[in-house]
Amino acid sequence: MKRSRTAALLLMSTAPLLLTACDRNQSREGLYTSVEACVAQTNDSASCNEAFAKAKQESLATAPRFANREECEARYGAQQCAERSDGNNHSFFGPLMTGFFLSQMMRNGVATNGFNSAPAFRDSNGGWQRPAADGASGGVYRGANTGTGMVPVTATPDRAVTSSRSGFGRSSGSRGFGS
Amino acid sequence: MRRIALAERSDWRAKAADCGFGFHTIDDAPYWDESAYYAFSLREIEHDIEAPSEELHAMALDMVERIVGSEQHMQQLAIPEPYRDWIAQSWRERQPHLYGRMDFAYDGSAPAKLYELNYDTPTSLFEAAFFQWQWLEDQLARGQLPAGSDQFNSIQESLVEAFGTIARGIARPFHFAAVRDSTEDQGTIAYLRDCALQAGIDCGTLAIEDIGISEDGRFTDLDDNVIGCLFKLYPLEDMFRETFGPYLPRARLQLIEPPWKALLSNKGILPLLWEAHRGHPNLLPAEFDAGGELPRGWVRKPLHSREGANIAMHLDDGRELRTDGPYDGPCIRQACHPLTAFDGHYPLIGSWVVGDRACGIGIREDSSLVTQDSARFVPHAIVEEARGVLIA
Repeated sequence: MKRSRTAALLLMSTAPLLLTACDRNQSREGLYTSVEACVAQTNDSASCNEAFAKAKQESLATAPRFANREECEARYGAQQCAERSDGNNHSFFGPLMTGFFLSQMMRNGVATNGFNSAPAFRDSNGGWQRPAADGASGGVYRGANTGTGMVPVTATPDRAVTSSRSGFGRSSGSRGFGS
Repeated sequence: MRRIALAERSDWRAKAADCGFGFHTIDDAPYWDESAYYAFSLREIEHDIEAPSEELHAMALDMVERIVGSEQHMQQLAIPEPYRDWIAQSWRERQPHLYGRMDFAYDGSAPAKLYELNYDTPTSLFEAAFFQWQWLEDQLARGQLPAGSDQFNSIQESLVEAFGTIARGIARPFHFAAVRDSTEDQGTIAYLRDCALQAGIDCGTLAIEDIGISEDGRFTDLDDNVIGCLFKLYPLEDMFRETFGPYLPRARLQLIEPPWKALLSNKGILPLLWEAHRGHPNLLPAEFDAGGELPRGWVRKPLHSREGANIAMHLDDGRELRTDGPYDGPCIRQACHPLTAFDGHYPLIGSWVVGDRACGIGIREDSSLVTQDSARFVPHAIVEEARGVLIA
């Protein structure tokens, strides 16, 4: 079959999705340092446990790789690195997973089945990192490579006083700009 | 490939209203048109459209690698100097991209010919990915299409998968922005946001006009949060020219589509592709336009033009066609390869690439050889030809 198996809408649709009213749909996303912290926040121990296990497994493939313990510990702190093997008799050092992400759709305040999870690592400066997108196994993108870069996580958004607006959009025409 | 008349679903307008498809009629003119559909064979889809789309996409990405290393190419594409390093850097970092649409002239008898790449702000997405899919399901359920009919359209599945892949790694807050008063563009970002939410990604929407700048040159939303990542359904080349443009290279704002897409949504890519792959069956001869008279058999297009605006066409038979529009500046020439008429309509195939995967088509047909904003969206189906009967 060359078409999507299903194609439903969450927010655009006024029709009920999966036979439940869906006037209150949101997503939640959190970074948790333990399954316990996750359960305390979400009250959903099944998702938390599963997300933790998936992140743990993924962390072996997506954690940054170092040739020796010293290099790894310089970035991630003492006692925070472990030796691993890539399965071809090559060993390397990588940081231990110190947290995990869980993101999930909510429907009427209830978490839906299925979620995204990812491992998180804390560097020696106390900042959180997660694997960059390339480390994902998504088949939409070609050449998904292992040992990807890490990106910083900002749990709380930066704020800045806005000095002016309307600096984009002046070329706008009545029909907009899609092509 | 055939054009087949088919009764409209009597309730399609109500269905459109139910799913937020507010632009099925634009300025009182019909845009969604299901009084007919295009029927393809599986071989036509897989061999003539899907495989060439993936090949051309890979060729286009290879070309980005070449352009970012060449001041001459940057010059040919009229990329403003202050943005060149920023664009090159975005490619070196492989900043993630989401989607694009190739426009093909195709009639089922000769190889599909690439007209252009819409790789920065492609639209007609919702109608291709969702409403067209729903049309097929409904018409199958009503027995109006041959049983087992399919469609080349896993666009929505691919979008959700792509968001799940790229959005995990991007900075928050993540906003979708488009021009406030464009119903069509607003509908497109509402749909894309829906797909992102289905991938579990928290995100919001914002009018492009409401984006702010802080004293220290960072972009902000209406709550004064520094925007982490912005999906902008707004042309990069317009952003470059506008008041906030100069802040872009240093603002650390992540863009989707990323800055390197400015090299692919630019028609200058067409002569470069032709130069590198001369004679490729899916490419038309193309060259940079030095001005002067346009010979027979050639089309002139500005590097940047949308919705078929400012196109000059000199047909083999001597006829000349010209469309109006606001675009000027440097142009390219492309060998004239007119669309084939089906019952007096000229269908243009929009082939969607999500991530790096060719995953569907949407067809727009116009009553003129140049597909403009008046073109209607007509659905398609994959229908296997009856076997065993050969009419010579």
